[in-house]
Amino acid sequence: MISLFAFSAVAAMAQGPIPNITDYRLDFTVTDIKGDSIKLSSLKGKVLILDFWASWCGPCRFANKHLVKLYSKYKDKGLEILSVSLDDELKNWKKAVIKDKITWMNGIDLGGWDALAAIKWQVEALPSSFVVNKNGDVVAINPEKDELEKKIKELLGL
Amino acid sequence: MKKLISVFVLTLITIVLNAQFTKASLQASGLTCAMCSKAVKVALEKVSFVKEVKVNIKNQEYAVAFKENSSPSFDELKKAVEDAGFSVASLKVTGNFSDVSVDKDKHIELDGKNFHFVSSSSKVLNGEQTFTLVDKDFLSAKDFKKYSAATKMECIKTGKAANCCLKDGIHTEERVYHVII
Repeated sequence: MISLFAFSAVAAMAQGPIPNITDYRLDFTVTDIKGDSIKLSSLKGKVLILDFWASWCGPCRFANKHLVKLYSKYKDKGLEILSVSLDDELKNWKKAVIKDKITWMNGIDLGGWDALAAIKWQVEALPSSFVVNKNGDVVAINPEKDELEKKIKELLGL
Repeated sequence: MKKLISVFVLTLITIVLNAQFTKASLQASGLTCAMCSKAVKVALEKVSFVKEVKVNIKNQEYAVAFKENSSPSFDELKKAVEDAGFSVASLKVTGNFSDVSVDKDKHIELDGKNFHFVSSSSKVLNGEQTFTLVDKDFLSAKDFKKYSAATKMECIKTGKAANCCLKDGIHTEERVYHVII
């Protein structure tokens, strides 16, 4: 049900052309654990999973386990993940990043539901994930576990 | 006429000063993680008398601030949560009071609403006070059972005034919020 809802939200956002991460209406910058900025549009050219989560979101923490496996399996083949946390406390976010063994790109902008990234991507529920191809086009929204891996393999040409 | 108006205005001011609800703290529950959805926050923000909603993750609560002089309806808050697909697990409402005397099973009107104090010893409320609603669908079914056993008065079953409430000047079928302090 959640995936259907998110799909309709982004379908409405698309209104014709496929949403692309270089579109200024979707682009955002988050801060990583070291304090460096990550700009979404700079990731064009990679097969990317954009994942919205939070330390307090049980289903997200569960999904992280799967992302860990997926990342270690495909990172050398060119998979990139950007996890954007909707946490409102740095402490909780950092703790969860370490606990869940998140070694891929991940950032925060501390706005909770009102974080600019969450608003731009019309995130209504957590977790929410988007699969982006090398052209920067959003090609899947909230895929199920198996569907996600299939899509990643396809996009990486494996 | 002028005199009548000024009496009316004075009465109005007295009511406003007597009791004024300012904020609430609400917990929602459902089959899925309520905090993982933006739906409850959005629904509460749309309620006419709500000024601001802040999500307090630590306590799994929505901190709801009411607009000034808005006489909030707690049923409307409940409806918003239910329309978003969740239910109210807890609702605590806070207001400012001056010389409001309460007693167990006593009904009084505060800020335009009827209240029944389910388990309070007699006391006079002054300053900021918080009530917890114990009406059906404002807490878990288990807790409701516990509190509805605390009074013999039948109005707690329906949330509407019954014959038992009439002595306090409330008409039958009027909404009565059941609270504990």
